[in-house]
Amino acid sequence: MKRLLTITLMSLCTLSAVAQVDHNGFVRSYLGALTGQNGDYAVSQNTLDWRLSYGKSEVRLFANPIFQYDALKSEVDLSLRQAYLDIYFADFDLRVGKQQIIWGKADGVFITDIISPRDLSEFLMPDFEEIRIGVNAFKLNYYLDNSTLEAVWIPIFQPTIQAEVNSIWAPQMPAYPFAVNLDESAMKVEDRLSNSEIALKYSALGSVIDYELMAAYLWDDNPAMHIFMQMDNSLLLKPEYHRLPMAGASFGKPVGGAVIRGEAAYYLGKMFSSEDLSSNGIKEKDYLHYLFGYDHNWFGVNTSVQLIQEFILDYEDKIRNDELSSTLTFLASKEFLRDTLRLELLTYYGINNSDALLRPKIMYDLADGFEILLGANVFLGDEGNLGQYSQNDMLYLKLRYDF
Amino acid sequence: MYYSMKTVLIIVAAFILPVVAIAQDITGLQIIQNVYNLASGEDQEANLTMSLINSRGDIRKREIKQYIKDYNDMEKKIMFFLSPADVLNTSFMNWSYDKAGKDDDQWIYLPALKRVKRISSDSKSDYFMGSDFTYDDLGDRHPSEDKHRLLREESIDNTLCYVVESTPKQDDMYSKTISWVIKDQWIAKKKEFYDEDGDLLKTLTVKKIEKIKNYHIITSSEMHNHQKNHKTKMELRDVKLDTGIDDNQFTERMMRRGL
Repeated sequence: MKRLLTITLMSLCTLSAVAQVDHNGFVRSYLGALTGQNGDYAVSQNTLDWRLSYGKSEVRLFANPIFQYDALKSEVDLSLRQAYLDIYFADFDLRVGKQQIIWGKADGVFITDIISPRDLSEFLMPDFEEIRIGVNAFKLNYYLDNSTLEAVWIPIFQPTIQAEVNSIWAPQMPAYPFAVNLDESAMKVEDRLSNSEIALKYSALGSVIDYELMAAYLWDDNPAMHIFMQMDNSLLLKPEYHRLPMAGASFGKPVGGAVIRGEAAYYLGKMFSSEDLSSNGIKEKDYLHYLFGYDHNWFGVNTSVQLIQEFILDYEDKIRNDELSSTLTFLASKEFLRDTLRLELLTYYGINNSDALLRPKIMYDLADGFEILLGANVFLGDEGNLGQYSQNDMLYLKLRYDF
Repeated sequence: MYYSMKTVLIIVAAFILPVVAIAQDITGLQIIQNVYNLASGEDQEANLTMSLINSRGDIRKREIKQYIKDYNDMEKKIMFFLSPADVLNTSFMNWSYDKAGKDDDQWIYLPALKRVKRISSDSKSDYFMGSDFTYDDLGDRHPSEDKHRLLREESIDNTLCYVVESTPKQDDMYSKTISWVIKDQWIAKKKEFYDEDGDLLKTLTVKKIEKIKNYHIITSSEMHNHQKNHKTKMELRDVKLDTGIDDNQFTERMMRRGL
């Protein structure tokens, strides 16, 4: 591995020196300790995030290799977040390769933004750029004035990465009354043309309103857990991916100096976990996920409030999710000392379970491009998407130098 | 045909006196409207450098590539941030309107989020990139937003100027501004900004005016915050005017694509 890393680094350095490669990126040291668990370190990473770009006005190559040393595991990891080719024409662009595709108007929430799967191995703690996984895709954008028609073809399905079972970020599993065995034989979506994902989006930007209309024929990035009762009274859990067609829309509109935002996605036939074993623990239901947001600058403080709701249509009582789940988010940030000091508070509040996540941060620029960040993750509540991590309160420190 | 000296004087006076009378009758509003309406080209492309200088003399630099295009009733501007490194590839687009009272439309593209986001235009009094210029200082404030009063005429640096006091009609971060407008050139050579208590907050001084393609363009200026003892030097380089910048330059596509 070290040899591979050395060769890769040397090749990239040589390439950037010989060819006229534009490059930038950052190095970052990140240390996090769990405050509720004797101060055990949960994160100790040193990262080089390098962005290389080469090309002319019509064609451009881009690569984003990530080198990461995990001091807790004593492991070095090399990955490629994105690597693609852009081809620019007069009225349209083509992007081919591994790329992050971002949709929607929501902040910190995934409603129509489901083209790129997520890496949830550390829940929502990393920066969103690091949570989104690049997908191998062909993306065509056709432009007409300030509107864009975007067509995406993803030939090979890439699922969301879940936290490992022994990770502090592993989600709580339902309590089963019988012994449980796991069968992952159906988890693979075969690499074939008919298993492609396709998506289409029309977006427009204007003085009155910005909006997007989208439709997609995707796979659900999370597997459905099918449950089979066995002869020996044990349960066989068989996770399987299913198709998930979606149609959605979003908008952003200025109103008296503020901005209101909305976003909605309607999913056709999503597989929900159920306690009803007669249907193998699965109920297929249509599902609506939507958001309203309000952004305003109050006395120099940028604030943003969002109400997010998830509604399962034709609900049945044995479905494990609530029929209606509601979450509030609140973001406030303000710069001081000529933008060198920034305070931020991001809060998620789950209304159904009265659980919450508070993420205060202090960022200070020691010099241009050299930032120190002190932050905390505070989980409140005992259950729910957030409360389940109540043992994971963390204080962390990041030092980052952009070049 | 010969005219007596007296006749010549009468004829000359007949032409000159109305001009003098007009000059004397010009109002503060007319002067500021002339500044607002000063032709600066149909479009402009330039590299903008801001040097932030603190009380110890430490300098931090911000570099931006900007494109501006004037439409009849609106102006579109797009800025690409080049340095420091942590803002590289960020872009900002502003559409401002001549119609009094109509808010600007603003969007920002943050490469980390990979999303063009509409932002609140209520942050006009925020300082731009930590400089001494607010977003409002950088834009063209519509004359109808203030009451204007011609105070006097006086020379600064041997240049004769109108001195105009402008007081906002509605609550504003400045209680008033005083502009020294160069006579017949309609460029504010100096401008003082007073805080809500009426104390002098900042002074903008024009350091260099260049004639490019028959337009007078301010290529160097300095904003001095007296209360914080902090300065920002703003310099425009490689200014190109009337090159016929395509309308497509001011789109979401270009914000994402960058330079």
